[in-house]
Amino acid sequence: MRALRCLVRKEFRQLRRDTALLRVVFALPIFQLLVLSYALNNDLRNVRVATLDEDRTALSRTVLDAFAASDVFVPGPAARDGDELEALLRAGACDLAVRVPAGFERDALAGRVPSLGLDVDGTNSSLAGRGAGYAGAIVMREAERFAAAQAGAVPPASASRVATVVRFLYNPELESRLFMVPGVIVMLVTIVSALATGMAVVREKELGTLDQVLVTPLTPLQYAVGKALPFGLIALVDLALATAFARLWFHVPMLGSPWVLLLGVSAYLLTTLGLGLLASAVSNTQQQAMFTVWFFLVFAIMLSGFFFPVDNMPEWARWLTRINPMRYFMDIVRGVLLRGAGLADLRGELLTLLGMGVAAFGGAVLAFRREGAAGGG
Amino acid sequence: MSGEAAVFARGLTRRFGDFTAVESLDLEVAGGEIFGFLGANGAGKTTAIRMLCGLLPPSGGEARVAGCRVGRDTGALKRRIGYMSQRFSLYEDLTVLENLEFFGGVYGLGRAELAARADELLPRLGLDAERGRLTGSLPLGYKQRLSLGCALAHRPRVLFLDEPTGGVDPVARRGFWDLIYEQAADGVTVFVTTHYMDEAEYCGRVSIMVQGRVVALDTPSGLKARTGGVDMQDVFLRLVDA
Repeated sequence: MRALRCLVRKEFRQLRRDTALLRVVFALPIFQLLVLSYALNNDLRNVRVATLDEDRTALSRTVLDAFAASDVFVPGPAARDGDELEALLRAGACDLAVRVPAGFERDALAGRVPSLGLDVDGTNSSLAGRGAGYAGAIVMREAERFAAAQAGAVPPASASRVATVVRFLYNPELESRLFMVPGVIVMLVTIVSALATGMAVVREKELGTLDQVLVTPLTPLQYAVGKALPFGLIALVDLALATAFARLWFHVPMLGSPWVLLLGVSAYLLTTLGLGLLASAVSNTQQQAMFTVWFFLVFAIMLSGFFFPVDNMPEWARWLTRINPMRYFMDIVRGVLLRGAGLADLRGELLTLLGMGVAAFGGAVLAFRREGAAGGG
Repeated sequence: MSGEAAVFARGLTRRFGDFTAVESLDLEVAGGEIFGFLGANGAGKTTAIRMLCGLLPPSGGEARVAGCRVGRDTGALKRRIGYMSQRFSLYEDLTVLENLEFFGGVYGLGRAELAARADELLPRLGLDAERGRLTGSLPLGYKQRLSLGCALAHRPRVLFLDEPTGGVDPVARRGFWDLIYEQAADGVTVFVTTHYMDEAEYCGRVSIMVQGRVVALDTPSGLKARTGGVDMQDVFLRLVDA
């Protein structure tokens, strides 16, 4: 116990002197939270629209004005002919090209389905699909209003199509931020804990100090705990800072108990710290350790439900998310913050994380034991 | 414990795949002896020392160090030995005193014991004025004396020094050897590897290793008489080339 205390004190002394690292682990999370929460916005915004009006009627102007008035679209250049419109899209000067053909108003008034050209830049598939759907809805709405005003009747056939798109319209801007901020918090805790421990041990290997430690009676378990503890504490402080900041700045609530969150993060940190130590134990240089940790981090983030809902993934990918500790922690953080989930609701996630934590940390200790016996150079 | 060798090895062997780094090493070093462990680069000295320190499991043979069986009583073995590696391996971002406290503390020394040990060791190492200095800012000679201090903090019975004086000037080396003599006078067994043949003359007995095998083991004067060499350098060259 005395030896462990001594090791932890040493780690904190070294951390205190590493002001560059301290700045990174404390200041960057807030910065990241701020930038990413604003940037990672799922809401459709700022879709640039180029237009070509070949109809030049009251209706064609109404439809194009409706694009300009929408929050989603930003009016872009107006083309003189079809070739120019296509060139604008190809050059990336707009995301969406609207072409109102001649006869548009006439068709609408005659009760025929009016046709209108929508060309979408498909390179961003999510924007393309949703932007096109939204644009189509605007066109339909304006055409129907116009026809109704003229004829004094509402065409019933189109009503259902309009209704489905209304959900986009009233999707409050805050919704996606509420979903994103907890995700950024999870990412921060993961990166700080896994990367910092991943580098810490291998750094001692590079400096040769690990050899000097291996000849002491410190056991692999003591060494792993001593190395993990300071970074675990830093990750906890980061979590507290980030949740407080999320609440004050983004008004992300904490509907559940902070104790449940603490329990969840403790189980999760056991996993990330363990995996970081494991990566460190099998790497010989800091570069190797960093690449190993990053490789797994990318998978963990992508398959955590952070950006892409797990329910939308193919079966095999959904299976992969089940062995991804980050996914469970993501559920816990979102559950506690947004839904007020309690111990009973999150029992499965907590137990799974605890199991993974014990396995990861145990794996790291075993790896150190081998390392201690095999030695370096 | 008297009568038993401080370091004892019989048939100690270490293989890495097809390569035999240490082949059937036989040794017996008495308590308080300064034993020189010589050999060219790659002769297997460091591998042998790592096995004797419990850092590397032997592939064959047996060894006892400070009464502990190597590969069996590893915990007890580690408490009774001190090890200074050929690479400087203390924490450069800790002060002199903090390094000493850490390497003493992990052996279970308490606060009061550590303070007393520091007050005793630092003046002897000529580092008393440097207590609060960051280790990274010290000259190499000072760093090596501190490494020795850290290896001694828990009062080991056997001290393994792997090329402790590499890269420092002759005056610093001489000073370092004075410290080694002091330890031996206190009854500590010193097991030292070196490339400097003048240092080999300071050892009580010397073994010379070539390609994993000990080819000679005797006092420096005995080796000179046997090989007809004028000094240890001459002896070494004759044995290694033979």
